Amino acid sequence: MLKLGAVIALTGNANLYGQDQRLGIALAQQWFNGRSRPKTPDSASPLTLELEDGGSDEATAIAAFNLLINAGALALIGPTLSQQAFAADPIAQRLGVPVVAPSNTAQGIPQIGRYISRVSAQSSVIAPLSLGEALRRDPSIRRVAVFYAQDDAYSAAETVIFQKALAARNLTPVTVQRTQLADNDFQNPITAALQLNPQLVVISVQAVAGGNLIRQLRELGYRGQIVVGNGLNTPNIYPICQRWCDGILIAQAYSPELDTPINRAFLRLHQRANPEQPPSQITAQAFTAYQVLAEAITRLEQQGGLRGQTLGQARSRLMQELLGGSYDTPLGPIRFRPDGEVVQGRFYVAEVRMQPDGRRGRFTLVRDLSLESDPQDPAPRPATKPSARGERP
Amino acid sequence: MERHAAERHAPVSRWGCTNVIDNGLLVQMLIGALLGVSVYLPLAAGQLSLATPAFYAVGGTLAALLSTRWAALGAGADGSFPLPSFLLELLLAGALAGLLALLVGRLVLRLQGIYLAIATIALVEIVRVAILNLPFTGGAIGIFAIPQPFATASGYLVPALALLALAGWGCQRLEGMPLGRAMAAIRDDELAARCMGIDTTATRLSAFVLSAVLAGSTGALAAHFLNTWNARQGSFDASITTLAFVILGGSRSWLGPVVGGLLLTALPELLRPVGDVRLVLFGLVILLGPVFFPRGLITPGLLERIGGRRQEAPR
Repeated sequence: MLKLGAVIALTGNANLYGQDQRLGIALAQQWFNGRSRPKTPDSASPLTLELEDGGSDEATAIAAFNLLINAGALALIGPTLSQQAFAADPIAQRLGVPVVAPSNTAQGIPQIGRYISRVSAQSSVIAPLSLGEALRRDPSIRRVAVFYAQDDAYSAAETVIFQKALAARNLTPVTVQRTQLADNDFQNPITAALQLNPQLVVISVQAVAGGNLIRQLRELGYRGQIVVGNGLNTPNIYPICQRWCDGILIAQAYSPELDTPINRAFLRLHQRANPEQPPSQITAQAFTAYQVLAEAITRLEQQGGLRGQTLGQARSRLMQELLGGSYDTPLGPIRFRPDGEVVQGRFYVAEVRMQPDGRRGRFTLVRDLSLESDPQDPAPRPATKPSARGERP
Repeated sequence: MERHAAERHAPVSRWGCTNVIDNGLLVQMLIGALLGVSVYLPLAAGQLSLATPAFYAVGGTLAALLSTRWAALGAGADGSFPLPSFLLELLLAGALAGLLALLVGRLVLRLQGIYLAIATIALVEIVRVAILNLPFTGGAIGIFAIPQPFATASGYLVPALALLALAGWGCQRLEGMPLGRAMAAIRDDELAARCMGIDTTATRLSAFVLSAVLAGSTGALAAHFLNTWNARQGSFDASITTLAFVILGGSRSWLGPVVGGLLLTALPELLRPVGDVRLVLFGLVILLGPVFFPRGLITPGLLERIGGRRQEAPR
């Protein structure tokens, strides 16, 4: 019996992401168990998954990693937060256990060691794309206001990327407003920013705070474009900012509108589990993390299987096989660089369109970009293609 | 749903086939116990100080900075770290935290009771915001790739146990020393102690500094153990958690916070087999502990009964 482990934040302040990830992994299991597998000597050995709560702190993630590694997991999926990855991944690396991160976007994660990889593209690749779209719509933009949560690792890293991208276009922010992770009242920073008449607002905060920030920006009279970061990449923001969400721009590593067989299968499974909402990026990435491991294991089985090998040898061979393959996933085609960094070919810029009642909405694809996410290349040249339905009316 | 089936696919018996408490968890438990003793020390002198996480954060940040930025300490390219440098860090972290406590304590210890508690919470917050904003502490992501003096988590057992043994020995010795007796006198009645000629300010400050030294060294150990360090390590939440160690364990003997720290750190991990409700159960334990053990698990009476050892009545 082959066992995979998953360490997901089911408690603590990252649990909103963890719930999405748990769903994504469960859907991937359904998909994998449901498809016809080629006959191999080992195909009788089922692939099981043990899921542990990694909490939202470092110590719990370390404990969960140790638990699953000692329980004989062939490879691990997780942990949810980059800060947790910096604590727990070195343990897996030292013991030679492959790790696939479904949602770590900080710089330096695959560099922890050769057993560490991720399917979540770095924010440096994704974030600037939405900025490009905003400037394409209004090339006269000169005055940009930036908001970010300074005590949140993700937002603080992302705003640096945004500000670099602005600098590359010769735009200096007229103001940079710092907020806190737990803030929900943004009257003061918004008032300070609006006095400077910004034409574009760029936001890097987490979901709940972001929903409130957007709503308050609009209520206080801001009418310009809003570009948001990945923290707001979840339909969970709609109930918070309601009709005020309409029109915000976001770059995504996943689009539900991608029309490929694997994404259609993923959407079907998701529809059954959660008919209310389309899948979020984080669900799709968790699905992908399980998928790449399952496919690598299947290939190994076809080559003669893992039978007769020690757990250590099996883990090492799996890592090699994982990095060597290329995968057709709901995120589009992906493969890995030798150091474990994901190379993803397609990204998307979406615009939130809310229904007139202000309760429901969706991320509408406005642009489909294909570029190789190779962080070694400082300025990837995107070949952009406006999506048919995304053209501005 | 499918995931339930998957979760149930765990090996025959999780309790049977793998160690419930692995060495990594044991180190975390020892760190909990050390922090418990650090909260206990000012409390033994009647001071409700919640500043332990601030000194823990200072110690951890110092160790993280020194080991990743200061090449003279000998961090290897393969992530290894010489043991003497690690011990030096424990000392330096303790010294820096102690120095900070000496400076801050003079101001803060003029306050008493709930006001002191609030002032120390403010200290924790100031240190957290400082670490978040200083240009060299890595901001919200913090400092990562901290080199390792030991190949596995088991290696940390020795220094953690040694530090706890040292702390325990110190606390035990303190009970018979003038400083310890003065602390006990202040805890029972500060006014009476002052009338007896005890220098209450110096005694309270000593307890505060000792607590900070211990928390600082523990932070340095934890920074290496956790592989990474950031501002979230020393937060208000940690103040409350460490206070819970003392309340559940008992504040009349140093063994109380040790037992409380060990238990409360291990419990969420031991409760994993019950699934999603484990933190609910954990909360119940914290809630019901003081109801059934109002003076904590370890009381002087209990110690007398099990050890038959002579304990002087507190009053």
